[in-house]
Amino acid sequence: MNRMEFMVELERLLADMPEEERQAAVQYYADYFADAGEANEADVIRELGSPEKAAESIKADYYGTEFNEADYEHKDYMEKYRQKSSAGSASGEAGKSRPWTSNTLKLILIIAIAVVLWPVTLGIALAVFGIAAAVVCFFAVLVIASVAILIAGGVTIVVGLAVAIAVPPAALVTAGIGLLMFVLGLIATVGTVKLCIIVYPAMLRGFVNLCRRPFYGKAV
Amino acid sequence: MVFNTGAALLDAIVLAVVSREDEGTYGYKITQDVRRVIEVSESTLYPVLRRLQKDECLEVYDRQFDGRNRRYYKVTSRGMAQLGLYKSEWKTYIQKINEIFEGGVTA
Repeated sequence: MNRMEFMVELERLLADMPEEERQAAVQYYADYFADAGEANEADVIRELGSPEKAAESIKADYYGTEFNEADYEHKDYMEKYRQKSSAGSASGEAGKSRPWTSNTLKLILIIAIAVVLWPVTLGIALAVFGIAAAVVCFFAVLVIASVAILIAGGVTIVVGLAVAIAVPPAALVTAGIGLLMFVLGLIATVGTVKLCIIVYPAMLRGFVNLCRRPFYGKAV
Repeated sequence: MVFNTGAALLDAIVLAVVSREDEGTYGYKITQDVRRVIEVSESTLYPVLRRLQKDECLEVYDRQFDGRNRRYYKVTSRGMAQLGLYKSEWKTYIQKINEIFEGGVTA
């Protein structure tokens, strides 16, 4: 990747930020490359890691999320420290290929573990899927039950009114009960639907985060 | 270095580095100067500079250099006040640490 590619990619990754923020960041890194000079271009790109990492640090600070450079810094330090203590003078060489090796290695390891332990992983996957399905169904059933009470209430009111001419007191009681059920059903329906709106996206987010975690580290 | 540089200390170092130049200084040079003292990656400083700018501790201006516009950073009066605060905090901090390191803890 050269400087042009880096800048194009960075600008693309910042596309969802306000224009002013994006301009400022792009100007900064354009300046940075220009001041570093062509001779240092490769070094700068290697140091920056990837457009993704640069974009992430810009966004994290702008949106005030947890992540922050301190996290990266600490990781960098830990990795450097380990290299220094184990590899000694070879640390410079190892540092060059660090960013992508560790990720690719992780991915291969994860797949390898999953393959070796496939009866276990399959079981766990099915269990997780089962639990997720049960939770999804549970909340759906709550909604259905609420709607059912609502409908039953409505029907009871109609029945009550239908017998109004023949037996007025009975009709009053029936219609009253029907009205009560109708209102309770309505409240329950609104409540359970709201619950679903909260629970389902949260579940989805949780699941996505779980899947991303091995590749991006914590708190993306 | 084995010690982590927290956000406040990093802010203080950046303010100190920028304040040394009366005319202001630019991103690449700031990064090089800071890296002379602590280990930071090149992507660390932009968010810090941007934040300090938003907090009105730094101001930016563009100046022609080598046929292009280069963005310069300068410490504002507010930034100087903030830096003064950081410096005095730092002094008490290292004093306390030094007391423990060199004088031992008196129970």
